[in-house]
Amino acid sequence: MQVSTVQPVFKLELNHKVTPGIVTIAKFDGTHPCLTASAGYDKIIIHHPHIGVVSGRAQRSEAHGEVSELSLSQAVIALAAGPLRPDCNRDMLLIGSPSQILAYDVHDNTDLFFKDAPDGVNVITVGTFGKHSEPLAFVGGNSSVQGLSWQGTELFWNVVSGKVCAMITFDFDKDGENELLVGSDDSYIRVLKNNQYILEIAETGPIVCLSPVTEVRFSYGLANGTIGIYEEGIRLWRVKSKQNALALQWSGETLVCCWCNGRVDWRDGTTGRVLRRVQMRTGAAAMLLADYRSMGVPDIVCVSDKGEVLGYAPYQENNGFNAASKKLPSEEDRLAITELFNKKQALMIELQHYEANAASGSVSLDALERPATAMPTNTRLQVAVNASIQNRCLDLTISTNNETIVRTALVLAEGIFETGETLARHPAPSQLRSILQIPLKPPRDVPVDVHIKALVGYPDSEQFHIFELTKQLPRFSMYTTAPQNARVSKDSYVTFRITERVQRICIWINQNFLLDQELELASEETKDLQITLYCLRDQSLLHMNFGADGQVKFYTSDIRLAGDLIQSLAVYLNLTDLQVTFISYNLSIIFCNNLAMRLIKKVTPPLNMMCS
Amino acid sequence: MDYDLTRIDYIITGITYPDTLKVLPATTPKSQQKFVVGDKNGVLQCLGIKDEEPVVQFKTLPGKPITSVQLSCVSGVQTDKIFVATGNEVKGYTRKGKVFLTIETSVSETITSMCVVGGDLILCSGRTVTCYRDLREMNSYVCEDRVLDMAVFAAPNSTRIRLLALVANKGAVLLENGRLIAHATISSGPSRLAVPPTHHSNDTHAFYGAVDGCIGLIVYQDSMLTTICLMECRGLGAVVCMGWFFSVGGAHLAIGRHDGSIQLYLVDLENITEKPRLKFTYFCGEPVTSVTGGSIGSEDNELLASTFSGRIFALRSRRHASGSLAMANIPQEAFASRRSKLETEVARLEKQTANEREKYQRSTRSLNAGLSAPPLLDIQCELTGAKEDGWQEARITSAVPLDMLFVYCGRKLDMKTDSAAVLSICSSQGTNQDLLATVRCQAGTRRLWVRMRYKVGINMRISESVSVLIYVLPAGAPRVARLLVVRMPLLPYYSQHENQSVENELRSWAEVLVTGSFSVAEMTSWLTEVLPGELPRPSNNIVFARSHTLLKTILLCQYRRGNAVFKTDNISTLAVIRDIMSNCSVTKSIRVEITYDIPSDCCLKSFIRLQEYFEEEYKKHNSLFIKKAIRSLDLDDKAVNDEEHTLCEDYWHIWNAVDEDNTKSNFEELVGKSS
Repeated sequence: MQVSTVQPVFKLELNHKVTPGIVTIAKFDGTHPCLTASAGYDKIIIHHPHIGVVSGRAQRSEAHGEVSELSLSQAVIALAAGPLRPDCNRDMLLIGSPSQILAYDVHDNTDLFFKDAPDGVNVITVGTFGKHSEPLAFVGGNSSVQGLSWQGTELFWNVVSGKVCAMITFDFDKDGENELLVGSDDSYIRVLKNNQYILEIAETGPIVCLSPVTEVRFSYGLANGTIGIYEEGIRLWRVKSKQNALALQWSGETLVCCWCNGRVDWRDGTTGRVLRRVQMRTGAAAMLLADYRSMGVPDIVCVSDKGEVLGYAPYQENNGFNAASKKLPSEEDRLAITELFNKKQALMIELQHYEANAASGSVSLDALERPATAMPTNTRLQVAVNASIQNRCLDLTISTNNETIVRTALVLAEGIFETGETLARHPAPSQLRSILQIPLKPPRDVPVDVHIKALVGYPDSEQFHIFELTKQLPRFSMYTTAPQNARVSKDSYVTFRITERVQRICIWINQNFLLDQELELASEETKDLQITLYCLRDQSLLHMNFGADGQVKFYTSDIRLAGDLIQSLAVYLNLTDLQVTFISYNLSIIFCNNLAMRLIKKVTPPLNMMCS
Repeated sequence: MDYDLTRIDYIITGITYPDTLKVLPATTPKSQQKFVVGDKNGVLQCLGIKDEEPVVQFKTLPGKPITSVQLSCVSGVQTDKIFVATGNEVKGYTRKGKVFLTIETSVSETITSMCVVGGDLILCSGRTVTCYRDLREMNSYVCEDRVLDMAVFAAPNSTRIRLLALVANKGAVLLENGRLIAHATISSGPSRLAVPPTHHSNDTHAFYGAVDGCIGLIVYQDSMLTTICLMECRGLGAVVCMGWFFSVGGAHLAIGRHDGSIQLYLVDLENITEKPRLKFTYFCGEPVTSVTGGSIGSEDNELLASTFSGRIFALRSRRHASGSLAMANIPQEAFASRRSKLETEVARLEKQTANEREKYQRSTRSLNAGLSAPPLLDIQCELTGAKEDGWQEARITSAVPLDMLFVYCGRKLDMKTDSAAVLSICSSQGTNQDLLATVRCQAGTRRLWVRMRYKVGINMRISESVSVLIYVLPAGAPRVARLLVVRMPLLPYYSQHENQSVENELRSWAEVLVTGSFSVAEMTSWLTEVLPGELPRPSNNIVFARSHTLLKTILLCQYRRGNAVFKTDNISTLAVIRDIMSNCSVTKSIRVEITYDIPSDCCLKSFIRLQEYFEEEYKKHNSLFIKKAIRSLDLDDKAVNDEEHTLCEDYWHIWNAVDEDNTKSNFEELVGKSS
């Protein structure tokens, strides 16, 4: 894809450096948008092309006539703006410093409130939420979110199990009320509704940006370079880049993505295919959606770290950006011809491959005569995953069905390897066999798709056949059947009551665990179920007891595991409400304080829980 | 960008080598031209374009790979006689496709470039330039290294011809009558020549394109061969081919590069030393092997290009490509009808492929095993020598889009890759000694580089070159991965070629003498373990010099059958060479005697030289640092102007003297801090 020559609809220079990520556009007078950005440690610049001079604390900048500077005594970490005050429609500026939040009315030069944020400030966003009628300011800290009213009163507070990196208000469940989507550095996107988490989406890296798309869709970007779109909690598509996404915006039926290196691409909303691409001269500092030209439609406003501002009109399908240069039908044909040639070329290469195969039909398999690329046609690859208690990992075994060898195997999966996204095995020449074992150690209890690419051939081959397979590891694959004599400590457990046949529970276990032998009930009449499992990660034991009376007890010292199990089971059984009791003799001291609440909330987001 | 050219695809051929596409001269002034192209399958085809549809004039049967296609020249004017080189054979075709000439030459290596001027046929193969006159061998000249390209000029006041040849790693040589009359060294590594089309017969000058991307001019004047670099194209790929394109605006030098870009530079033919102006750039995603101008699709000139994988396409002015004005003679529906024809063809191919695929799938399920032997994927790979920073670059070019690479090495290496790919280093398997890495490519990637370097600080006590295995996995069918083996030499820094006269420099030379019953070929193969890049081909007596890109020490190699002498002012280098010589001879069970002569002041002199070098680089490093600091102060003119500057004298001097763009300090590399 070549860099296209899309012309911006407007272009201006701020003559100030801009700190990436700390930029907002606000209507301080209620009508005219002003670009507001951090220009270094404690300096805020406000670009106001439409209004005169901003009075008050702001100073006119020497470097640019339409820019005012505002100096604070503290570092600026986050900026946001919104019509917080219910009595007027002017946007208030929210300035986050490492431990404080200042709400400032730029137009009136008054402070709305000044509040300490003991948990730090990472992100600020303004929006309506739940039943609250007026907009609130949401502050994401190092392990919490809080909602503040225009006077600075805390209307709600909740814990997040990681540093908050991105936040948006969004009507996730289409009930007419906004939920808060929180993306954190522990790789989860959580949906907060009425101070309860209703959904937790496991991603593969820290979430760095979130942006609403349509009613039911939102886009996300990760620190590992992935961007994508979710629709009602299901991922529509994702693509991965080497760069990090800085901002995502939905404009003209396309997802616009701004990357840190200054590249901006317009992607098809349903597939993620790149439609247009431009490259800014320097690294990007922000990309926002605002009607900066007062044309009635919001443009994409890109800000570079050197202070260059470029505006792009919404993408239109038929004529791209330049409505003037209408595409002629022959132009379209030409592009189609190039595309058809690409296809033809690929097909011809594939055909050549089959033809060469047909031609080599008579060649013997004898090692002396065998061509350097050959392999018996009926070679197949078998893959199995089983727990290895000795090595405390899962063994992925790959084998061929004849004398060909597995030269190398690549396992691609996200979030389960310490380094990167791949695990590779390349045995020494003396150890080449038709069977190859790869140890896997998923660090978290989430379902993982592993893609396997195995190169199969002979030890002296110059070319190898690629076999590709995908295997899904169930959520609790790191737990295997414990030895008969294992004794579980009964100190800590969770208990709750469900009314469900054990047959269904049995199916749940077989779906979510990777047991050597599928769990089977003794007879149709069985009413209770007990199983002891061994964790390959830390050698601890887990005992699950499903009583005949519906009483369930999970014995484990790992509170996170207990939460995950309950959540998984609840989702499987379609439960929305469950009363759970958590007993731990070791943790009893902790229960005295607030932390317990936090722990419980952390482990079982979708459920109402009661502590005892 | 001044010009607005759009791409029009014509045909697909097999893989093409550089400079194998030529446009035939027009028969009448206002007619459309035809073009010939030869590919790796040995097929030569001549095509014309009628109503946007390619019409085959003639097409030969497949044979040996075609490595060069040329048109003969008679008194500076191209004729329609087509000359094609395959292996050591040259064939002549008329424009109708009739063979009028076949010669099997006596050259031992593949002909890489040729020229036909009147009755003269000049061939380059390997290191030799051979001249034939009326099909009789007249003379030949053996250069010091491979001949990359060549141009022919008429010698003033005689019927003789002058040859300007580019020699790998050396520069340019001018030959007359089989004798060297002038030579010039060009540091940027020139790879291609382009002679200005309307040059006066007395002038001997040509443009060159280089491996590092730059474009320059070679001029022979007053018995001196001089070179000027006209364009420093930093960040652009190596020049693969050059051609000429004429339009209303004037003469343009067309450059096709390895990184898939095509540029048009406007050149003033009356004043060729003037800097060419960039007018147009196009990216096609894979190495460009030929570029040339001509009126192919219409009466107006367009740029015709071929790529490595065999795509032949034109870049035509958009006004002509889609406008209704200039294309009155071409029906509006030409493109549409062509498109629908192609659509049917692709649909037919799809069906055929699906059938064959099904057949293949069936054979994989059958009990009696057949044999699946797909042809080797067309992939090229070359490894460069190390620059100052120690990185060696493996450039991979493929005819099919790539999905990923898997890299394995028995030792830990530092690695980097293209911005179009994602590098992921895997945890090593058990021993912690090996490197396993994957490189995932963007969709449509056909070329890619991987940089590797020995880890800094790890004791280099290894006695053979390090093999890096690269498995190349293509994106589509056939699902096979090709294994490439790249050998990283022990002394990768010795990649800079030097003139042999460095021996006369005042350095304290330590010497090692190896004698024994080895052949020159064996010595060459032993040296490939040590030195990067291509070594001179075995001949009776070989002498060459290399210098260390970072430390600037010199290594002189001189060997013949049974005797080899290595001279260097770097004692560690000598030790590595000694080790390799004894190791290799033992594995080959050849008895060798190794003797040294190390002057007592060898180390001292080297250290003094190094110290000076360190100090110099340190000073440069500091100046650059200060200049950067001054720059970020955003000082106004008052502070830095010539007369009454407020900046202190030292800083003012640095501000004016140091040119950030052209000065580079190797200090970080010297102290081993570079990333």
